[in-house]
Amino acid sequence: MSNLENNEKILKIFSNIRCLNRDQLPRYLDGRLTDVEKHLVEQHLVDCNLCFDALQVLQQQQYREKYQPLATSMQQYIRNSIKRISQVHKVERYQRQEQKKESFLIYFWVVAAIAISAGVIYLVQQQGKLKSPVSKAIASNAELPAAKPENPPLQAAVVTPVRVEEAPALKTTPPTTTSPEAPVATPKLVERKDSLKTAVKPPAAPAVTKDSAKKLPPPPSKPVEAKETTRVAVVHKDTPAVVKRTEDKPAPVKKEKEKEDVPEKKATAEPSGTDEFLYKAAQVYHQQGDLNEAISRYKHLAESPGKYGELSRYQLAVCYRSKGQTGKARRMFKEVVRMNGSMKDKAQAALDNL
Amino acid sequence: MLQQLTNLSDKELISRARKLKDQEAEGVLMERYSHLMVAVCLPYLNNGPATTPEEVYPALLQRLSASLRTQTIPKANEWIHYTIRAQQAQTEKNSPFFPSTESREQQQMENKVEKAATNLKEQQLLAATMEGVLEKLPAEEKYFLKEFYLHAKSFAELAATKNYTIEKTRQILQQAKQKMASLLMNETYE
Repeated sequence: MSNLENNEKILKIFSNIRCLNRDQLPRYLDGRLTDVEKHLVEQHLVDCNLCFDALQVLQQQQYREKYQPLATSMQQYIRNSIKRISQVHKVERYQRQEQKKESFLIYFWVVAAIAISAGVIYLVQQQGKLKSPVSKAIASNAELPAAKPENPPLQAAVVTPVRVEEAPALKTTPPTTTSPEAPVATPKLVERKDSLKTAVKPPAAPAVTKDSAKKLPPPPSKPVEAKETTRVAVVHKDTPAVVKRTEDKPAPVKKEKEKEDVPEKKATAEPSGTDEFLYKAAQVYHQQGDLNEAISRYKHLAESPGKYGELSRYQLAVCYRSKGQTGKARRMFKEVVRMNGSMKDKAQAALDNL
Repeated sequence: MLQQLTNLSDKELISRARKLKDQEAEGVLMERYSHLMVAVCLPYLNNGPATTPEEVYPALLQRLSASLRTQTIPKANEWIHYTIRAQQAQTEKNSPFFPSTESREQQQMENKVEKAATNLKEQQLLAATMEGVLEKLPAEEKYFLKEFYLHAKSFAELAATKNYTIEKTRQILQQAKQKMASLLMNETYE
């Protein structure tokens, strides 16, 4: 234990001790330090010339009196200069902090703006993807009443069929009086009858046989009559015969039409749900200028029976015409005319214009 | 900030003042030694032209501040003492401060002791070497060192035993310590 203490004491020879502070200096001079403290001060004084010189000076009374006020004024002088510097430092630090804050805020808002714009773009893209053609059609279906006044010809095309359907029934009788158109009209009527008969298969089949039976006999009878009369007379007779035929025909035609109207109505009533919807959807594409899509949709509809088939063929022709494919347009208009439906006149007029 | 700086050692304050150009640290260092500067300069005040306290102390502070940026300062008290003496000598040539060989050796020994403070074995080894070196010193120096450090006698007591002045007693102790440091450093180099 004594060896350890001895070691510690020997090591004290080279221990580093701080200079006397402003409190210790007068106390040492006055002998107001403890033994330990005094020994520590003296240990330091062995090496420190500054402290020893200061003590030597202050031991003289004349300097001791001057020392205290000068020491305080010196301390004050240094503190004042530090304060000024520290204030400048503080201002600089504050400015730096403010600049940092500002720059941080700018970065934050820039990043936020970029994030928001990216989010908006993403949402818009997502919305665009989600909008399928069907939903578009539904949306446009809801918008149709609003869109109608914008496109009057299409509206007419949709609305007219009902009126036109009624008109031919009334018009079928007058052709008898107009001689040049009558022969042209009658074969077409016959053709239409045939087509209608094919459309209405089981009930019309016996009627066709009857008609054909009725129609077939006259030709052999006519040449016999022609042989008996002069050629001129034959000519004159032929026309009334035709007229007679036409006069005869309206009745069965009407009957047939009455018969056909019922199934036709049935046919139109049946697909009206889906066909009307598909037709309107196609019209929307047509209105939007997407002719290819409209054509594909009209094509799909054109094969369906009923008024929407005819209407879609007519619209197909219009589409072809607006695409500049006049050949196809003409063919379609001809088909519509051949169908002899409600759009026949319009199709004919369009054909003439082409 | 000032409160934090006052707790730093001289070495840390000097390094802050030099590397970071921290004038606050410089101020704290000056304030720490200001009372000693005042005391040491007192006999040279009002002795001639430009020796009023208002001129001497700011000039001294400026001189210290200038030398702080350029010079290596292992011990602040030695550096301040050297600068004060240079100012009092009124030498135009501002010769830089260099610590003496004795001072450097002494400081190296102080560092060694500080380093060994946490290791008991090293402490024992160092103490044994120091004891060996102490025996090599002249009898008077050995006596003074033993009495002062091992028996904790004061300057006055030592001076009284040999009828020396306190100044002489301190001088003998200082010389003995320096000799011991140089002997110890030579032993380590061998």
